[in-house]
Amino acid sequence: MTSPPRFKDALEVFARHHVDLIVVGGVAAVIGGAPLATFDLDVVHARNSANLDRLRNALDELDARYRDPAGRLLRPDASGLAGTGHHLLQTRCGPVDVLGAIGRGRTYEDLLSDSAAIDLDGLTIRVLGLAALIQTKEEAGRDKDRAVLELLRQALRGSARLERP
Amino acid sequence: MEPRDPAAAGDFRELDGNDSLIRWMMSLSPAERLQVLQGFVDSIGEFVRDQSTAIQRRP
Repeated sequence: MTSPPRFKDALEVFARHHVDLIVVGGVAAVIGGAPLATFDLDVVHARNSANLDRLRNALDELDARYRDPAGRLLRPDASGLAGTGHHLLQTRCGPVDVLGAIGRGRTYEDLLSDSAAIDLDGLTIRVLGLAALIQTKEEAGRDKDRAVLELLRQALRGSARLERP
Repeated sequence: MEPRDPAAAGDFRELDGNDSLIRWMMSLSPAERLQVLQGFVDSIGEFVRDQSTAIQRRP
């Protein structure tokens, strides 16, 4: 049986292990103010060796394994996490997608300047901004990305109006 | 008198349901927005559990 999503609990584990990552995808959109639903937590991680060690420890604590349709127990390993691929994992805090790069190959370092440290009642996490999220979804160009683009654009316009003095 | 520019007045351009939701979401803190999502996900989980229990109880 798969565990239901517990977004903040998963983020707390990553934070406790000091994993350098940026929250992207639907959770980033919601934190940015877009009213949409998602069931997985998407993160882009820094791929230097020290951070990969911290990430592995966090994923161990989360009991992460690949979402394998054949039901095999496959764990993420350091060499795989060092690449730019996407690791679609099931954890005890629900589905977590650990992404080496998104859009047109944008890595953690590429996305850093478009992200911000956000406080979630005492838990500080780095989250990709709506404008960059839109850009990466435009670049990815998949049907599921295109489906939410207009809502993201509306949210971005809404946030811009609220920020206007 | 010039017609009022909705954009300049700070109104939202589209006046559909999304706008109301976006306005409401923007009024929340980031932590509260995440709670909204978690609440939605939890309610879906409860609904699915209730449905499967109901199906199992059917004669």
